[in-house]
Amino acid sequence: MKKDRKDSASNQAGLDRALSKRQGRREFLLKTGGILAAGAFGAVPLRGWAADPVNIGALYPTTGSMAQIGVGCVAAAKLAAEMVNDAGGIKSLGGAKLNLIISDVQSDTTVTRTETDRLITGNKLSAIHGCYASALTLIASEVGSSSDQLNKGRTYTFTPFARASQFAQAQLRMSKLVSDQPKVAVIFENTAFGTSTSNGLKELAPSEGVEIVMFEPYSAGFTDASPLINKVKASGANALFSVSYLNDLILIVRTIKQVGLNIAINGGSGGFVIPDFYKNVGKLAEGLQGVAHWNHDMDANCEKVNAEYKKRTGEFLFEYAGGLVAQTFMIADALERAASADPQKVREALSTLDVSSGYAAMAPGGKVKFGPDGKNVYGHPVGVQWQNGDLASVFPKEDAHAPLMKT
Amino acid sequence: MLETVAQAVINGLLIGGIYALVSIGVTLIFGVVKIVNFAQGEFVMIGMYISFFLATQFGIDPLVSLVVSMPVLFGAGVLIQHFLIRRVLGPNDMPQIFLTFALSLLLLNLALMLFTANYRTVHTSYSDEAIHIAGLYIPVAKLIAFVLAMALSGALWVFLHTTDLGKAMRAAAQNRDVATLMGINPNRVFCVALGIALALAGAAGSLLMPFYSAYPFVGQVFTLMAFVAVVMGTLGNVIGALVASLMMGIAESLGIQYVGADSGLLVVFAMLLLTLAFKPTGLGGGRAR
Repeated sequence: MKKDRKDSASNQAGLDRALSKRQGRREFLLKTGGILAAGAFGAVPLRGWAADPVNIGALYPTTGSMAQIGVGCVAAAKLAAEMVNDAGGIKSLGGAKLNLIISDVQSDTTVTRTETDRLITGNKLSAIHGCYASALTLIASEVGSSSDQLNKGRTYTFTPFARASQFAQAQLRMSKLVSDQPKVAVIFENTAFGTSTSNGLKELAPSEGVEIVMFEPYSAGFTDASPLINKVKASGANALFSVSYLNDLILIVRTIKQVGLNIAINGGSGGFVIPDFYKNVGKLAEGLQGVAHWNHDMDANCEKVNAEYKKRTGEFLFEYAGGLVAQTFMIADALERAASADPQKVREALSTLDVSSGYAAMAPGGKVKFGPDGKNVYGHPVGVQWQNGDLASVFPKEDAHAPLMKT
Repeated sequence: MLETVAQAVINGLLIGGIYALVSIGVTLIFGVVKIVNFAQGEFVMIGMYISFFLATQFGIDPLVSLVVSMPVLFGAGVLIQHFLIRRVLGPNDMPQIFLTFALSLLLLNLALMLFTANYRTVHTSYSDEAIHIAGLYIPVAKLIAFVLAMALSGALWVFLHTTDLGKAMRAAAQNRDVATLMGINPNRVFCVALGIALALAGAAGSLLMPFYSAYPFVGQVFTLMAFVAVVMGTLGNVIGALVASLMMGIAESLGIQYVGADSGLLVVFAMLLLTLAFKPTGLGGGRAR
């Protein structure tokens, strides 16, 4: 314990030296910004002391345009820390409690940077978790990759959940639940988001044995979906992938009902798998499929955490917040095995994490083990469907909780 | 083939009815008061929120809430003319442009603050229903909206052609100075024109609510279409705006069907360019009616 304290003290001195030079400080910020943002789900050990309690930094947008998700994440982060502490804290550190230091990044990249700086320099942290919208992540990681030190930095980032490229694959495979010979119509808004997502689907389709019978961009924010749905009808598709934002999707779903077209709709990830979606869309959402990082009914542990979260917030535990609870337990597991709050040792312990039970294993597939790139080797997304106002896991089989409801 | 064309025309005609309500308002204000109302779409948005809250708080059908949204926005139009626009009417156009543009920004941001950027929908018993005839389908909510929109446009036409106040408005539109010389009180006429235009926007909002989502930026979609329709149908010409709106709806629908789903507006703007090239005064023949 004493030695740890000395080690981290010298680390702190090094940090101070780095901060004393403006250039050094900028590099430091670029690097940490890159590390923090490199994964929407990143557990990043940092410099700190083996003092009691163990400080965990939490960077979330609790105000601004992304606040809704951020506030949910903070509630989940608090719940997770409480669960660890109520179970006796970190036993190898004499029952040390997790202490959450929450920082609001205000849905803004500039603020994200300054708040990260404040959090790191003002506190003795063992790890940071962050929950960003991809826009913040993208900008920050682009800045980060211009730094030579990013390669070194990346070894501090761990991503327990599925990567973007796996989502398209999951979506294509889900279409096989609908039919043995899926004929997919892909419609997407003609924006960067729509084009890149749909191109991913198109490229993967042949190797997954899925036929794409229609591939059509549309102007986002249209007033009438009927002509587009006319085209879908004419294409003879039996599954529809709609890469759309909420407003367009509502029109599309409604029009499909009016036409009386019998087709399974998959809305992909993002805004379709949060409680707000059902609140806004109502019964129209029933039967709609999507893809998520995490879902609250994957196993008994997930359901237990979900029940507690629901009691506190009134809503089910959505993907980001649920993943965060699992992440907190991964950090706790690492702290336990490292028997130290020293960030370097926490990082080493995380890199050898291998769990298949307990709260830390609450990931699709129920197993977490990080490869050399810091990504979970078992990581994959979970296919979900809105059933009776709740989001049910339907794909793949190992994570499925309910059969796919035919629409 | 014929069926697909017929379906596309039906779809276009139905949405064109909503465009018409918005563009008639814009053209009425331009014809009578001679200002361009950039905030017209925001009043559609307000109409939608009125219907949304009446539906969710009191269970009132959005179509019934027309009787609330139209008078409320009529009153708002009169007040805006009397307290704001009246003060900037003059030889210089700039203050007028700034005024209505600022109004648009103000309302948009107020809505963002009060209602957040979330999409709000109202689900009525007829929202998802459609009439199926001969392989074609006609969505009930849009059909009702279209019929009511046409009825309101017709009522406006009757008002403008048979009542003294309506005739005074047309007189003011044709030549404001001569109308004033004939003893027409311009501010009174302007107040009524603004009131009617905003009431139509409110009506469009209420009629949209059963099948479209309300959100703070919703008006901008309709403002753009309205401006195209107003220019194409000759500025200040109510019938022209109506006809142009319906044509645009159909052109957009056919464009999506046969050119590409992201090219609906392309066809609309090509139509506008052709109109301006061959009939620069617009389809209405350059006369305010």
